Amino acid sequence: MQVDLQTIALKPLRNTFKHIEKRFGDKVASRYQEATYDLQPTDNFHYRPTWDPTREIHDVGRTKIVLKDWYVLKDPRQFYYGTYTQARARQQDAIEKSFDFIEERGLENSLNAEVKAIALKTLMPLRHVAWGANMNNNMMAAYAYGTALNQACTYASFDHLGIAQYLTRLGLALGDVDSLKAGKASWETDADWQPLRQFVEETLITRDVMELFVAQNFALDGLLYPLVYKEAVDGVWAVKSGPTIGMMTVFMADWQAETAKWVDAVLKAAAAESPENKALLSEWASAWAQKAKAALVPVSKIALGVEADAALADVSFALQERAKKIGIELNF
Amino acid sequence: MDMNVKKKLGLKERYHLMTRDLAWDATYQKEEEIYPQLAYEGIKIHDWDKWEDPFRLTVDAYWKYQAEKERKLYAIIDAFAQNNGHLTVTDARYVNALKLWLNGITPLEYEAHKGYARLGREFKGVGASVACQMQSIDELRHAQTQIHAMSNYNRFYNGLDDWHHKADRMWYYSVPKSFFEDALSAGPFEFITAISFSFEYVLTNLLFVPFVSGAAYNGDMAAMTFGFSAQSDESRHMTLGLEVIKFMLEQDPQNVPIVQGWIDKWCWRGVRLLTLVGMMQDYMLPKRVMSWKEAWEIYFEGNGMALFNDLARYGIKVPECVEQVRKEKEHITHQAWLTFNSANFLTNFHTWIPSKEELDWLDAKYPDTFPKYYRPRFEYFQKLEDEGKPFFTAGLPRVCQLCQIPVFYTEPDDPTQLAYEEGTYMGEKFQFCSTFCHKIFDNEPEKFVQSWIPPHQIFQGNCFPEGTNPTVEGFDPIRNVAAYYDIEWGRENGPFVGSEDQKNFAKWRDQTTKN
Amino acid sequence: MAVAAVSEYKFASRDSLDKFHGNQLLFVGWDKHLMFYGTAAFPLPPSMKFSDLFVGPLAQYYGAHPDFAKIDWSAVTWLSGNQPFKPDYDKSLAENGIGHKDCLRFQTPGLDGLFGICF
Repeated sequence: MQVDLQTIALKPLRNTFKHIEKRFGDKVASRYQEATYDLQPTDNFHYRPTWDPTREIHDVGRTKIVLKDWYVLKDPRQFYYGTYTQARARQQDAIEKSFDFIEERGLENSLNAEVKAIALKTLMPLRHVAWGANMNNNMMAAYAYGTALNQACTYASFDHLGIAQYLTRLGLALGDVDSLKAGKASWETDADWQPLRQFVEETLITRDVMELFVAQNFALDGLLYPLVYKEAVDGVWAVKSGPTIGMMTVFMADWQAETAKWVDAVLKAAAAESPENKALLSEWASAWAQKAKAALVPVSKIALGVEADAALADVSFALQERAKKIGIELNF
Repeated sequence: MDMNVKKKLGLKERYHLMTRDLAWDATYQKEEEIYPQLAYEGIKIHDWDKWEDPFRLTVDAYWKYQAEKERKLYAIIDAFAQNNGHLTVTDARYVNALKLWLNGITPLEYEAHKGYARLGREFKGVGASVACQMQSIDELRHAQTQIHAMSNYNRFYNGLDDWHHKADRMWYYSVPKSFFEDALSAGPFEFITAISFSFEYVLTNLLFVPFVSGAAYNGDMAAMTFGFSAQSDESRHMTLGLEVIKFMLEQDPQNVPIVQGWIDKWCWRGVRLLTLVGMMQDYMLPKRVMSWKEAWEIYFEGNGMALFNDLARYGIKVPECVEQVRKEKEHITHQAWLTFNSANFLTNFHTWIPSKEELDWLDAKYPDTFPKYYRPRFEYFQKLEDEGKPFFTAGLPRVCQLCQIPVFYTEPDDPTQLAYEEGTYMGEKFQFCSTFCHKIFDNEPEKFVQSWIPPHQIFQGNCFPEGTNPTVEGFDPIRNVAAYYDIEWGRENGPFVGSEDQKNFAKWRDQTTKN
Repeated sequence: MAVAAVSEYKFASRDSLDKFHGNQLLFVGWDKHLMFYGTAAFPLPPSMKFSDLFVGPLAQYYGAHPDFAKIDWSAVTWLSGNQPFKPDYDKSLAENGIGHKDCLRFQTPGLDGLFGICF
């Protein structure tokens, strides 16, 4: 039997904001819609930016991609601030419990010594790759046109900083401050890491918002994350040493799957709009994936040893599959 | 089994590992290409590592604490909507304060989000970058939670539904819009001085207290809860403002005059912008919190001045404008409300003449000026209204080139004399409200000649709907400007008395209280 | 260049004369009459006869004031750019040397507004 509660229902004058109604019709809107669509000002800007006098403060011209409406790049996860932070807080809670579990039982000490060493060698320099990813997504957040894209890039940049901090925590748990120092030294001077560092530094001077999106969020992360967290952590390392490291990096594994949905949706919508967009995105994806793959060869050897080539081939194939679904040509 | 004895890390060291240790010195690309905005303002930073983190929040802690606040906030927003919470406000005039907020302030929260995102990327020091990134995402939070908190009001009251279109076009929203676009178009060091220091530290209580306390005093649970939920965000922002100013001043003595110039500019610009907020707190809150004059005395003349005492050791001086602001605090809110009340055919919020009790309150709060200069005006206009001949301004005003406020300001020492300040640049004349706005213009004329000034745009014919022919017989410029603004004529404009808002509120109150 | 910028920062004035379709902007304030919150702004042809201001734009903007009907324009004093100014009522704005975005103030001694507070 249902308890039939009565409330006083007043007749509202309207269901939502005018700009939302123009897009979706006269009905109650979702929180994501009200928080996202047309939030960015669009008209009658007063002053040209001193940091880019040839364009306006908000300008579609900060990329070669052309869209009639930048809000086609909506986020399939429908993250606005509230849902983003609450989703991440749930993940954070689970990870916190994992770290506690491991540390209380001293499980980091019963790890296979060889795997532990490889893990530190692989993961510590990735702290810096994550910082580069944070910087790049920040760039996109700052200069992307339209709140749909800018907002999601803000969350991505935060995620990357969070990843860098989880890696730092892992380093302190499995090793200590010296492990972090060694990782930074490798990043700065070891031959194996220079191609990747060179790649990252090249992204740091890439100023086309959508090209950078492709380079960082599709090409690099699309290869790096499955390579490290699927092939190595949950693959080869887990076989030898159990799930301990995977528990510490579960955020990264889960995050990659979730984020790929967003990345692919953005690229799919952009590519679908015009053959010019599709050609540009294909060109960028191919060029940057080629560079990323080459840069990851020595890294994959550190992480996976003899399994490196096969693993890199697997993740490259998976990226190809994504490209097909997105509707771009990926040759690398 | 060997138990490694690990070095116990202090909080500061641990946070450094979590933040500034993540960066490295690039060698494959030039630093100035990775950070192209750091040199052109003339600010010298020799050692970003001297930055002291104003707060230490790792991302996972941020997620946890903020999510907790979001859960609580949205539970209240949901309950508010379900229970017709809007009917608990003191009276429906209050909703007009929310219209000013959603149209005038909320877009600025988004622009702050963008501005800090830029700084997060363009600042080299990781400490500074991370603090800016946190502020960036906080400001996005504020924009979105404000929209959500006010969403229910939009369903029942007019003037809240079209902020995207209105904020970019209407004659008074150009005041906050131009303010923030001035900051956004500036370099990173000016932006952070303008917003983190002048706005978020020096002047923050003068924006926050009126709106949020106003909500609390007037039974607006939604906006009040937003405000309390945002308080700890604002604390972080204040600490960032203080740190950044000290950091710049300590990095190089030659930064001092540049920073001083920005402090002078942005304190003035901030105070001018706050005219509208002061007006709101003196006139638009049925249950008033405190007068603008009182707020200024507490938050600036008290707290703010203490801050400048702190900064004196760097050679920073109190902005010269404070003396004029001190005199003006007796006048500007009354002058502003009189302005809007005579122009409410072209606003998307309602106005009204204060009741006798409200006039008495204003007499008491402004004993030196209100009884003499302003009460007689309101009583005169009330008389005309009672006779069915309300007074309206029959034309467009002279507006300040810099702050874009119609010049209703009077000479600081003569409240019977409008302020007339003008200047020339490249053979063209420009009008101002004050020597301070004039000076800001003179320092950056190439910027401020670009101002999109609403009355001038109207006179250029740029504020009519597309395809309008202004030369036809019987052309009504006001109705056509209203059409460009997309004003729902007779519904969202005009006086409160007789408005749909007023009628509906009374009807709904009855519906929920009478049988 | 006064504005610090990464590259050249120079833009056309948003309100240059050429943008007003043959009109110029003129501001005309009536001193000591604060019933009107601010100073009137008008787009006017430079060829407009000065005295046409009185029955046209000024009457439109300031006419609601009880003092307005009593104004003796021959006794009115003027300022232009806050300096004493003696316009020739029979000549045009342009002939009087009134430029784009100039600001005039007129004073009507003896007609000092209401309530002794210049309202």
